[in-house]
Amino acid sequence: MGGLFSERRSLLIGIGATVALVVFLIVVGEEKSLVIGLTQGSAYGMVALGLALIYKSSGVFNFAQGEFGTVALYVLYLLDIKGNYWLAIIGALAAAGLMGFATERLVVRPLFEAPRVILLVATAGVALLAIGVELWFADAQAKPVAKAFSRNDRITVFDVQITDQRLWLIVTLAALAVLLGLFFTRTNLGLAIIGASQEPTATELVGISVRRLSSFTWVLAAVLGGLAAVIAIPDLGSFGPGAMTSNYLIPAFTAAVLGGMTSLPGAFVGGVLIGIIQSVATSAPLFQDGGELAIPGVPSTLIVFVVLLVVLVARPQGLLGKRA
Amino acid sequence: MALLEIEELRVGYGFPVLMGISFEVEEGETAVLFGLNGAGKTTTVSTIAGMLKPDGGAIRFDGSDIAGRPPTQLVRDGVALVPEGRRVFPALSVSNNLRLGSWTRRREQAEVDQRRQLVFDYFPRLAERADQAAGTLSGGEQQMLAIGRALMSKPRLLLIDEASLGLSPALAKTVFQVVKRINDDGVTVIIVEQNVGVLPYADRALIMEKGTLVFSGVGDEIRNANLRETYLGGGSE
Repeated sequence: MGGLFSERRSLLIGIGATVALVVFLIVVGEEKSLVIGLTQGSAYGMVALGLALIYKSSGVFNFAQGEFGTVALYVLYLLDIKGNYWLAIIGALAAAGLMGFATERLVVRPLFEAPRVILLVATAGVALLAIGVELWFADAQAKPVAKAFSRNDRITVFDVQITDQRLWLIVTLAALAVLLGLFFTRTNLGLAIIGASQEPTATELVGISVRRLSSFTWVLAAVLGGLAAVIAIPDLGSFGPGAMTSNYLIPAFTAAVLGGMTSLPGAFVGGVLIGIIQSVATSAPLFQDGGELAIPGVPSTLIVFVVLLVVLVARPQGLLGKRA
Repeated sequence: MALLEIEELRVGYGFPVLMGISFEVEEGETAVLFGLNGAGKTTTVSTIAGMLKPDGGAIRFDGSDIAGRPPTQLVRDGVALVPEGRRVFPALSVSNNLRLGSWTRRREQAEVDQRRQLVFDYFPRLAERADQAAGTLSGGEQQMLAIGRALMSKPRLLLIDEASLGLSPALAKTVFQVVKRINDDGVTVIIVEQNVGVLPYADRALIMEKGTLVFSGVGDEIRNANLRETYLGGGSE
């Protein structure tokens, strides 16, 4: 029963930390940061979901997760020029899934028995290769990308307008968190992935091919990375080579670590928390030049790295993760 | 024809471990594979279950050569291994461990329900703990779960590696009694053991030393051979 108690306690800690932060921000008058952080954090959360999924199933931190998204953006850009936007989205997600499949088959599977650090370096190699190809293809030029939803003033919360595109992101992330939660607790395939992450030998002994599970997991994580990119980036208007790696990978990694690395709800909560913390650090007067907590000459966005280090030192298993 | 025929089986890890062993197990038997640490017992059952590839020799199951087949195929063929150290899925509940055990039969829901009920009949303790995480069970309960999970695939041949390791004598006896019931219900069993307390439940005894088979006997041959003193250094009860 200790394990179950510990799991519930971790979940309560995660929810408690989020609620405490929300209440604190409302009390100090930083509601705007809260709303902006929630929308930004949703994108981090979606990338973090993919990171947690692969880490959960194979113990690998996937440096290529961001580039699954960037490749999807390039395919969206190419297909959108020629036709239907929604078909272009489907094509973009298929391209991300294909890249995930190819990465698993060509890089991960041959290194299946290798130490995890070798795989980690290999995924970094995949990311760098993808960025190189994108630079060659796009000649380092930013490419425009259209929004699926153009209306910006449907919902206003605490004087912050939430665009329909951002609303789509938040709703998709929440739906994904629920659906993935159900997938991993209610379906044979989801349980098999959890089982393989804990006892690969026993998984083979009950008749499940761990390698086939690995392919499925990488495709699923890559599609999540693609989904994050095609929903979040259009709000910025354009993107360039390595867009998802440079803008989202480190905050998403921090979100996954904060959430517990193996916890899917943790990735969701961690993403939102990192978004809010980053938003406060960027916009709150306390951290601006002349503010009481400002450090002259130091960009406030560095707060993400501070959070990462504090979590790794103080609670390495994260808010919702389990101690190894 | 024997259900399992091992002929001149050779296995190694870069150096030889099994040096050409041969034995047979008839359908419906309980065979016990004895030997001290390093004798090659675990290597033998792991190879039969497809976890290791043999360097030479033959493994025939129900007349078919199964040497080198992967475990995922062998489970479908009717061979299941309870590995050393139990290896239950710690974060999953007892029910979900059993559910994964029925993976190869997951589309036959009535059969799966029937198998789960059978496992709960063998091990009522598992029914009481159905919703509990497997990692929180005691060692004996985890052994029961590991055996139950293997039974979910409806095996014809059940291999159990170190069934009594880490269990109290009373609990080990309980496990042996249930294994005997499983055998009585038609499952052929091979148990890897160092505990001679399993002998009363054995139809066939096989004793290994340094990768070779030094004794193979059935029925009265086992009881007359004075196995403990001759081969097992006094053994443990």
